[in-house]
Amino acid sequence: MSLAFRLSVFIFVYILQGLGMFWLSIGIVGKKVRMVPFLLCAVFIPLIYLLNAGALVFAEDANFDLFVLIVTFISATMEVAVLGILIWKCYDIPVLHGIEAAMLSHFVIYTADDVVSQAAATYSPLFDRMHFYTFITIVLPKLWAFFVAFLAAYVLRRSGFYRHFAALFYNKLKTALIMTVSYTLMFVWTVIDWFYPNAEPNALYAIFFFSLITVVLLWVQFMAMYTAGQEKIHIQEETIAQQQAHMELLEELQQEIRAFRHDVTNLFSGLTLQAQEGDLDGIQEFMKKTSGYFDEKLGNEIKQMDGLNNIKLYPVRSLLTAKLAAMRQKHIQSALEVLHPVQERQMMETADILRGLGILIDNAMEAVPGKNGEIRLVMLQEEKELYIAVVNNYDVAPDLSALSEKGYTTKGSGRGTGLSSYRKIISRYPGCVSRTYLRDGFFVQELHVPAV
Amino acid sequence: MIPVYICDDEQAISVRLEKIISDQIMILDGDMGPVRVADCPAKLLGLQRQDTVPAIYFLDIDFPGQMSGLTLAQELRRYDPRGFIVFITAHGDLAFETFRLRMEALDYIVKGDYDAMSVRVRDCLVSIQDRLRDEPAGQGRYCTLKLFDTVRHIPVEDILYFEALGYKHTLRLHLINELLEFNSSLDHFSEQLGEGFWRCHRGYLVNREHIRAVHLKEQSVELDTGEQCPLSRTAKSEYKTQLAVREAK
Repeated sequence: MSLAFRLSVFIFVYILQGLGMFWLSIGIVGKKVRMVPFLLCAVFIPLIYLLNAGALVFAEDANFDLFVLIVTFISATMEVAVLGILIWKCYDIPVLHGIEAAMLSHFVIYTADDVVSQAAATYSPLFDRMHFYTFITIVLPKLWAFFVAFLAAYVLRRSGFYRHFAALFYNKLKTALIMTVSYTLMFVWTVIDWFYPNAEPNALYAIFFFSLITVVLLWVQFMAMYTAGQEKIHIQEETIAQQQAHMELLEELQQEIRAFRHDVTNLFSGLTLQAQEGDLDGIQEFMKKTSGYFDEKLGNEIKQMDGLNNIKLYPVRSLLTAKLAAMRQKHIQSALEVLHPVQERQMMETADILRGLGILIDNAMEAVPGKNGEIRLVMLQEEKELYIAVVNNYDVAPDLSALSEKGYTTKGSGRGTGLSSYRKIISRYPGCVSRTYLRDGFFVQELHVPAV
Repeated sequence: MIPVYICDDEQAISVRLEKIISDQIMILDGDMGPVRVADCPAKLLGLQRQDTVPAIYFLDIDFPGQMSGLTLAQELRRYDPRGFIVFITAHGDLAFETFRLRMEALDYIVKGDYDAMSVRVRDCLVSIQDRLRDEPAGQGRYCTLKLFDTVRHIPVEDILYFEALGYKHTLRLHLINELLEFNSSLDHFSEQLGEGFWRCHRGYLVNREHIRAVHLKEQSVELDTGEQCPLSRTAKSEYKTQLAVREAK
């Protein structure tokens, strides 16, 4: 066979491999295949294999088996890293998710490819024409692997696998576990080859491998769904706690209304007396004094309730209820204004609005002076955007130039992670505008979220 | 002269307010007037175009069956971003924080007895006078910024520098006492702002007015506020040649 033929088969096969891995990874993270990363993948993956092959040719005499093993490890790791980073950069998905997806797809494709190519090598009749033999033993398995990847990607995308998949990364332990297991799985076939170089690829062998793929995918799916379920329970517990806070607010209001009713009854009995005596000046005086009385007594609570009722994003409502309760507990004077109903049509995911808003409010609560702290929260739904503002007074004016740096905090080291993760959340959504400024003794943090 | 507008659908209130405002302008000897009254938002929007901006607006919060005070303020701001807006309300429980932050409303006046309203109007006019003195109208250049539906006009002298963030086309604008993050590109602003700004780094556009020192050795540009911006190699050599040219002269 000519060198040109070998080379073109080699390149074709590994481009196919790269594309297959890419396709499946994108299926796992539930995104649409885009041209640029697709092509990049078709360049990078064969390049890695070219290096791999180069190294093997170069080191033919060395302790060959071990060397092959090491090179395989390195090239597979590189492959996964490249693909993971590509997905991270092009699709804006956390880098660990990308790498994990790449590892899984690497495993699936290699297993599919390996089984079929071994079977082909064993059972294919020896042709005179080496070209045809090459096709059967090398090209066909790769085509098959690509087909498997394509099919798996389709299924995963249709079933919304990524929602569960993302749940695997909620805590560090689980992330570490899943990453380690997947990394080990990637090399299962290499290790088996290493121990049983001459295993005969019979039906049993094939069944073993395909059941391995199935079991792994099912295991990942199960793990993911389990974690997602746990997360859901956790969220529900939180919601219940927040509902409790809401109930407390209602109770407080009720108490105050009772007291108010008592007051009003007394006041009016006085008024009746004055009216009977025809004391017009006295009555006018009374009107002047009591006109603001109701607002003074209950205005703030009622305004807060109105505000909360206007928030139709229920998790956000719960969060604000809890935060307002916390502020009352710390004797921080709070106000909430939500003029128009805030709906569920924001471009930002509710979970991220929740996290962002939580960070802003926590910052405000930390920054207010110990006495006479004041926090005002404003949400305003407009046609094209949701406007959110958190305003607080302060002891020491925050240094805005330092604020933009990572880890800034007025409260000692290690507590300034809030703002940088806030930035990270915001940066995921193009079109968001965030504004931070000082005015009239208040520190204002604003966020504009585009509406859908 | 800064025109003053009153918009309220209750005639009793607008007549009273007109009298109070005219009196207070006389007392303060302010450069304000004439005082015009509109009984509906549409009329006010028409009147606004006939005179100069910035202007002072006294607006009712609510016009039953018509646009709300908030929408009216938004419409007015579109034409007059630097005007002064004061709201008039029947009771003290309006959501003023929203108006103050979103519409940059100055204050609000509670409809009530004459004396209390006078005091409030007087306070408003005094603070407007102070503000006008602090920033004489029409001077200096502005940098326009469109964020959603609102256009902001930022005085160029307030800008310290622009910083491109690693994220996709996000800019962080450092102003005096303000940080603003939004989607745009540095090229856009370096074009808009021209010579007064220096691209000292691929990701930084600095206002020359606010540069305190250029540290060639440390490769950084120090601003009045003590903040440091990196200095790229290209910008450094460019700076050196300019310096050499200036010295030669």
